[in-house]
Amino acid sequence: MDMSQEHEGPSMALIVRKDLRLSAGKIAVQCSHAAVSCALIAKKSEPRLMERWQSSGGRKISLAIDNLDSLKEIMSRAKSAGLITHLVKDAGHTEIPPGTITVLGIGPAPRNSINALTGELKPY
Amino acid sequence: MGLRSFIHRLTAPKRHDMINNEPVKLVLVINNDLKMGKGKIAAQAGHASVTATLKAGEHRPATLDSWLHSGQKKVCLKSNYDELIELESKGKSNGIQTVRITDAGKTQIPSGSLTVIAFGPDNEDKLHDLTGHLKLL
Repeated sequence: MDMSQEHEGPSMALIVRKDLRLSAGKIAVQCSHAAVSCALIAKKSEPRLMERWQSSGGRKISLAIDNLDSLKEIMSRAKSAGLITHLVKDAGHTEIPPGTITVLGIGPAPRNSINALTGELKPY
Repeated sequence: MGLRSFIHRLTAPKRHDMINNEPVKLVLVINNDLKMGKGKIAAQAGHASVTATLKAGEHRPATLDSWLHSGQKKVCLKSNYDELIELESKGKSNGIQTVRITDAGKTQIPSGSLTVIAFGPDNEDKLHDLTGHLKLL
């Protein structure tokens, strides 16, 4: 039994569409956008969760997803589980057309909820 | 100028938080000495961005507001460790907010490695003077 599980703080998942084949810099910017937006939502709506997330190191994980349909499916599951989500649309100045959905941020949320939703996805 | 306002100008704390409708951005500079994967870089950049946002919320709320309301403009550049340290001290002496992220080292790289420094959010021109010569990641 993994005793550390209980002490692990909340986590945030940044789910990136791999079918867009974005550059490293683009992915970093889009994930940052998702992380900031989710954190600001959490700060307002769930300040205690936000505080626990920050004080436990603000854990983040970036995951890869095949396409937009799968991304939307995970988003609706996250929403029905009552988790914080934020979808990033690119302004489209570079690389891809404007309005393209690139990254989904989920959380901060309890580690178990994140794992239950994203357990099948691979790290990006 | 009266004597009192002259003295005030000399002694008042410098105001960093004075952005009025000027373009504002956040610059993320990655330590390219480390061989990090794309996902690792994304998580580290996310960390830097969130920390910079919360810190600016405490110390420079007007700047943060301008940044958030103009679409959270960000750019991701690359450099090496030595230059990053130099840029950090230059940034600080120019009154630019800096956030240094070191990795817990659970994956890919040794614990305590400097992975990214965030500069800003701040005036675009000011940041360009500091980091304009760096390449996009």
